[in-house]
Amino acid sequence: MAQYFGTAVEDIFNTMGERFLPEGAQDVNVTIGYNISGDGGGHWKVTIQEGTLKVETMDGEVADCTAVLHANAETFVGVTLGRIDAGEAFSSGNIKVDGDLTVLIAILPKAFRPFKPVVKASTIVESVEERFRPEKAEGVDVKIGYDLSGEGGGQWTVVVKDQTCTLKDVLDDDCTVVMRMEAQVFVDLNQGKLDGATAFTSGQVKVDGDIGAAGQTTSLFRKYVSEGAAEEKGEELISLKCLPSINQRYATGPMMGKWFDGLKEKKFYAAKCPECGRTLVPPREICAQCRVRCNELVEVGPEGTVTIVDVVYYASPDPLTGKIRETPYTALFMILDGASNDESFAHDLNPKDIDRIKSGMKVRPVWADDRKGNYKDLLYFEIAD
Amino acid sequence: MKISYEDTKDCKVITGKMALPNQYFAGRVGSKFIIALRDEHKILGVRCENCDKVLVPPREYCEKCLSKLDESWIELSNEGTITNYTIVNYNDRHLPRRAPYILAMIQVDGADTPFPHIVEGIDVEDVKVGMRVKAVFAGETTNTIRDLDHFEPV
Repeated sequence: MAQYFGTAVEDIFNTMGERFLPEGAQDVNVTIGYNISGDGGGHWKVTIQEGTLKVETMDGEVADCTAVLHANAETFVGVTLGRIDAGEAFSSGNIKVDGDLTVLIAILPKAFRPFKPVVKASTIVESVEERFRPEKAEGVDVKIGYDLSGEGGGQWTVVVKDQTCTLKDVLDDDCTVVMRMEAQVFVDLNQGKLDGATAFTSGQVKVDGDIGAAGQTTSLFRKYVSEGAAEEKGEELISLKCLPSINQRYATGPMMGKWFDGLKEKKFYAAKCPECGRTLVPPREICAQCRVRCNELVEVGPEGTVTIVDVVYYASPDPLTGKIRETPYTALFMILDGASNDESFAHDLNPKDIDRIKSGMKVRPVWADDRKGNYKDLLYFEIAD
Repeated sequence: MKISYEDTKDCKVITGKMALPNQYFAGRVGSKFIIALRDEHKILGVRCENCDKVLVPPREYCEKCLSKLDESWIELSNEGTITNYTIVNYNDRHLPRRAPYILAMIQVDGADTPFPHIVEGIDVEDVKVGMRVKAVFAGETTNTIRDLDHFEPV
């Protein structure tokens, strides 16, 4: 599929559903036609009606819409990504609009979150030969294995020998060093969202073999720059980093032990106070109000009702991983079904629901596929509708 | 479901590793100061015209009159005078030297404010207020104030 600035035209339409903001599209009833010419182009019809969205692929030229946009594939992607100036594209005639132009200018930015290109781990690995710096590889003879798990993962071997670099899409048995991580961690590392030392110390990257060789690889390759991104040289500014790493060991006791067993089975357990009868989520051994020991667990949830929504815009590191959180993120306080009214439980919200969440809404938990009885089993909550 | 506190079958230990990334940004003014130490072995200050004072290390705003100072750079001497000192007599991992060592307030020639730094090349008993010292720069950079390694008697 033809790509421009690392993005295909299709990607933009395929992500419309998840980028759609119903609040921004209230009282809007429009249809927008897209006729995108050139390699990777096609015809699409987007209908926004009463806060709902429909995206259709059409067989031929789209007409009879509130607005119809004509552009070539490269211009369309470039303008969407902000790499091509929209004003210039209009004045030069590279984009033409039939019908009501204000629909595009006034409604689209409110009805959709901006499109962000998705960088794939394979794209980064496959650019390794171009990024190779032979001048840094004198006398270097290494085989670097990458074992990337999860979505977009794969296995590769990068062979550096005699100042040349070759990429193989298998993992050789005799690698000098093999780096194992989730594909997303690899992408974050290469985009500077995650620091290498942080990823290693927090156990997100596992290195088998010669650790020294792993460190050396950074100097052998130029930094990955996503296609079309301009490199600017500015004034030198000094910023110092250091990374303390602290080993944690938490003894659960029987109450929290059962809580984690419950997560594994997709269940929430609450402690019940024998004195006042209130539930405590997660379970605690002592009811702090009655100062008596709890010895009974009851099942609550799994759905809950939101009481408070906290939207966080400050990009703080997640202390469990050291990775900088994507912002904004949302912390939810909720009363799980069957829990006492004043005993809220706090957890994360699925980022896709951030624009719709309100207190009073019902939410349901989203579980990890591979649950091991620890805090990673519960991913987040999302709106139950 | 009843919970027994004598039975430990449900007790577990969960281990993790907490990574706490720290980042210090020297700012535009602080960066320029350190880069001059590192690349040119020069001590830079800023001059407040309003107060007629030269401040070292440089800051973006005058602490007295709040004038903006980031355009009024001035190059100072690498020699100066000890205005006060202390002897550090304990060891700790974060300290730059083994005890005992001299930590002195040094006012370089042309500046109106002193700043703290290490003095070497002299016994700790012999340091005196008013002593003349000169800057010795570090061989390897750390991108910190320690690119000026220490001061020693002239």
